[in-house]
Amino acid sequence: MGLRDDLERFREVGEKRREDLADFIQYGDLGGSGANQINIPVKIVSLPEFEYDQRDQGGVGQGDGDTPDTGQPVGQPQPQPGEDGDEGDEPGEEGGEHEYYEMDPEEFAEELDEELGLDLDPKGKKVIEEKEGPYTDMTRTGPDSTLDFERMFKEGLKRKLAMDFDEDFLREVCKVEGFGPRDVFEWARGESIPVSMAWIEEAYANIPEDERDEWSSVDELESEVERESIQQQIRREGIKHVPFRREDERYRYPEIIEEKEKNVVVVNIRDVSGSMREKKRELVERTFTPLDWYLQGKYDNAEFVYIAHDADAWQVERDDFFGIRSGGGTKISSAYELAQELLEEYPWTDWNRYVFAAGDSENSSNDTEERVIPLMEEIPANLHAYVETQPSGNAINATHAEELERHFGPDSDDVAVAYVNSKGDVTDAIYEILSTEGETDE
Amino acid sequence: MHAKRASNPRKPVVFMSKRNSNADRFRKQAIAGDLEEPVAEARNLAEKLGLEPYPVKYWIIDYDEMNELIAYGGFQSRYPHWRWGMQYDKQRKQGQYGGGKAFEIVNNDNPAHAFLQESNTLADQKAVITHVEAHSDFFAKNEWFGLFTDGRADEEQVNAAAMLERHARAIDDYMSDPEIDRAEVEKWIDHCLSLEDNIDQHRVFQRRLEVEGPPEDLDEDLAAKLDELELSDEIKGEVFDEEWVEKLEERDEQVTFPDQPQKDLLAFVREHGKQYDEESERAVEMAEWQRDVLDMMRAEAYYFAAQKMTKVMNEGWAAYWESTMMTDERFAGDDEFLNYADHMAKVLASGGLNPYSLGMELWEYVENTTNRREVLERLLRVEGISWRNLTDVVDFGDVLETLEPPAAIAEITPETLDDLKEVSDEWVDREALEAAQEGEIDVAKYPWKVLTYEGLARRHYSLVKRQHRGFLSRVSQNELERIGRYLFDDARYSSVEEALEDVDFAAGWDRMFDVRESHNDVTFLDEFLTEEFITENHYFTYEHSKATGQFHVASDAAEDVKKKLLLQFTNFGKPTIAVYDGNYNNANELLLGHQYNGVMLDIGQAQETLKRIFELWGRPVNLLTIVKEVDEHDVEVAKRRNREPEAEERGKLIRYDGDEVTTETVPWEEVEHLAADDVDYDTKPEDWLA
Repeated sequence: MGLRDDLERFREVGEKRREDLADFIQYGDLGGSGANQINIPVKIVSLPEFEYDQRDQGGVGQGDGDTPDTGQPVGQPQPQPGEDGDEGDEPGEEGGEHEYYEMDPEEFAEELDEELGLDLDPKGKKVIEEKEGPYTDMTRTGPDSTLDFERMFKEGLKRKLAMDFDEDFLREVCKVEGFGPRDVFEWARGESIPVSMAWIEEAYANIPEDERDEWSSVDELESEVERESIQQQIRREGIKHVPFRREDERYRYPEIIEEKEKNVVVVNIRDVSGSMREKKRELVERTFTPLDWYLQGKYDNAEFVYIAHDADAWQVERDDFFGIRSGGGTKISSAYELAQELLEEYPWTDWNRYVFAAGDSENSSNDTEERVIPLMEEIPANLHAYVETQPSGNAINATHAEELERHFGPDSDDVAVAYVNSKGDVTDAIYEILSTEGETDE
Repeated sequence: MHAKRASNPRKPVVFMSKRNSNADRFRKQAIAGDLEEPVAEARNLAEKLGLEPYPVKYWIIDYDEMNELIAYGGFQSRYPHWRWGMQYDKQRKQGQYGGGKAFEIVNNDNPAHAFLQESNTLADQKAVITHVEAHSDFFAKNEWFGLFTDGRADEEQVNAAAMLERHARAIDDYMSDPEIDRAEVEKWIDHCLSLEDNIDQHRVFQRRLEVEGPPEDLDEDLAAKLDELELSDEIKGEVFDEEWVEKLEERDEQVTFPDQPQKDLLAFVREHGKQYDEESERAVEMAEWQRDVLDMMRAEAYYFAAQKMTKVMNEGWAAYWESTMMTDERFAGDDEFLNYADHMAKVLASGGLNPYSLGMELWEYVENTTNRREVLERLLRVEGISWRNLTDVVDFGDVLETLEPPAAIAEITPETLDDLKEVSDEWVDREALEAAQEGEIDVAKYPWKVLTYEGLARRHYSLVKRQHRGFLSRVSQNELERIGRYLFDDARYSSVEEALEDVDFAAGWDRMFDVRESHNDVTFLDEFLTEEFITENHYFTYEHSKATGQFHVASDAAEDVKKKLLLQFTNFGKPTIAVYDGNYNNANELLLGHQYNGVMLDIGQAQETLKRIFELWGRPVNLLTIVKEVDEHDVEVAKRRNREPEAEERGKLIRYDGDEVTTETVPWEEVEHLAADDVDYDTKPEDWLA
């Protein structure tokens, strides 16, 4: 019991009653949302009551310094004193209040994945942090406490195994009739015994003259004296003679793990020339805004660049982006040139990049082929997309989208072309764009 | 008459909310400390001015707590329901984005609880306190609030906080009961809330309403009774032939209840309703918890009804006394005053017909007209002065000058106290004056302490205030005649001066106190909203045109504006629906009737509401109503001719049987009794749009 519970209960009710995401994107009011919070209208089914028909009821208004003439139309009815201050109901059937179900971009991206069956798996790129992992790396110096003694022992043992030999037996070899130090060395080599010439010479010198011919041959020696392997020797002597060497000292050191951030820069390019009228403009907004939310939700760090263009291009703020209207002609390459320049701040090694452009496919002659396509190929990006908005069907000269499609082909994995002719096309276009990159992720 | 009362020194009551960290507590304690004096003195001043508020407990709370309280309608605990969560969410966001500053909240209770937001400036706090004292007076004295308490406004009787808390706990218990489906409880509450305004708010609230039921023996079969008489078939055949029996039973079948249309739908379904059982597909008795929830929802609806019925009056009342205390009596310190004036201006200026400014202006109008009438009645009793010549022979400028309060009362400082000795005893509180002269009362800060109620009325006499100076002279010849015609003893005074000597300066306030006891918004507006007021404020009505699909200005005639405005206040601004038959179709169906006043129902809403009522009745529900229909062809013609098409009123029967909603047109005779013949809220002129 308590307000927290009531609030939670309201959210449950709200979640059930919020607008379907696809409907919201295509037909809903996107304006109520910000960059970091998506507000999806929840139709509050305020409990039904017996009420007057609002149109038939009419109302009382107050003139501003003057009483208006009879018959003059009035705008939205003014709030009436009997009503609770802020519940200004609107006339007509669509009346009724809206509350908002709030989503952050992460939830939005998840929901959209589910709704459209998308599967975009963003890649981490930029190394933002090196942090200590487990102590699995080694270094030759370090504090005593991190000395890897076990390793040093093993290395010593290995060295011993590699370097030790049966010294007693080799001394006996020196006593073979006719063998000089050189002959002993040659024989040892043949037996792969790791012994140096110097050691043999010293051992030979220490053998008294009368004993130097004790054995007639190596064969005789081998049949009389048993050779002892190193393993046997260690077993007999124990391992106290394992030689520890400075060069075997290793100090444990933590492993460095590279944390890679999934960061993305999204370039939104919009044709704001005279031919881009309100309907086209709205379709661009409906397509771009959810794309931005989606990518923001998918990536750890998302930055957005907004470019408006007619025959020239200029960078604008997000808040202004969808509102700008300009006159003049259209030269799409101007926007890509600016994009290329602005993207220098976001090196391809460190950043995922998306370059989305939208317009009505009208462009200056030859600009698409001569300038835009080469630029698109030059600017490395996860995805280039062009969204054509033509609510009234294709204009004859509007061939930008077609030319792109012809050049890059329908199966291109980093160029998408989508057509949005009505609100109903918006989610398909979004799917088209976001699934294009998905195709090559595998 | 609101006689002077010795104000017994009372310990100020300022609380802090319970769940606070230490740091919070110290901060709030400091604020509470600062407010103790203003709280005590505001009460003293309110009582001097004639107000009789319930005791008020003030709480210092922070912004979040304020939002919570607002969501809960001013109380600390309510039954579990999503709509509080919704309101809370909205409230928070408004504060966050819209800057909607939560300002004051006071609930109708004895003692009343008022909540002060800690972030308010001291000037704001004082304003809230004076405002709250006036609300508390209204709660205690207005008769419509008395309907809930049955006139017994003692602590046991009101204790709304305790009632709501009890309801909260009971409903929470039902929801936690493993035998009861939590969602069912919530749904049941929703059904009840749909009928929240369908009560009989003009009657004294009774927990159980005696609702007339069907005659006890209605069900008994007459034929069976006859059999018991063991009459011979022969006699039966002769006297009680089958035709006779059938006729008799038919008449019995026509027995309907209630006798009179019953407006308290919640009470009616409480007494006679059933619940619909999905499994057995029939009506079964309500569960104990369902009736209990219905009772609780109905009690809460009655409790909040008075507030809804007196919004304009109550807010205006609080604004009026707040202004009197804060501005006229300088309850705000000089440095705080600008801050306060600024705030007040904003509250009153906020758009259109807001209840604060509308209410306050109407109260000032009550005061001014009463004072004016008092003055005119005196003047008309002067020899040689009649309603015909008054405006010619009386110089209103001179009159106003005479009515100005004496300097000793208008300006009271420690230095001028001696001047009060010359002033009438009626106006001066001699005891207090003595104390002031001893230095026991801080006259510089609280000059009003040395005056009586009458003295304060003299000091704040409305007709001489700058903003009202023209009011006296604006009297119309009609009104003069109305006052003068029936005046006896019309040559009592020999001169204007002598007549003015006798003026009762408290007449305006006395009248206001009477009005605040007996009126509600409907009667208040009906009586005091004048043509003068409507014209000066450029009010007009607007109506919707079927031809243009827009709203257009329909009328600026005062009677139309008033009618339209009253529509918004009558019956909570909702259409009146009553039970006409609890045994409709002789099948225990419910028949409701919409008492049509020229404005039709929102049919979509009505259908949805019927679905809810079905849940509370358990059997099919029917609603008779009248709608306006316009022929499509007529609309086309009207559009071309730029006029408004004529709508035709038709009777409709809307029915919900648990499965589907049907609407059929019924002959006019069946709905004729529902159509009011004395009111029509339609203000469209004949040649509209022409």
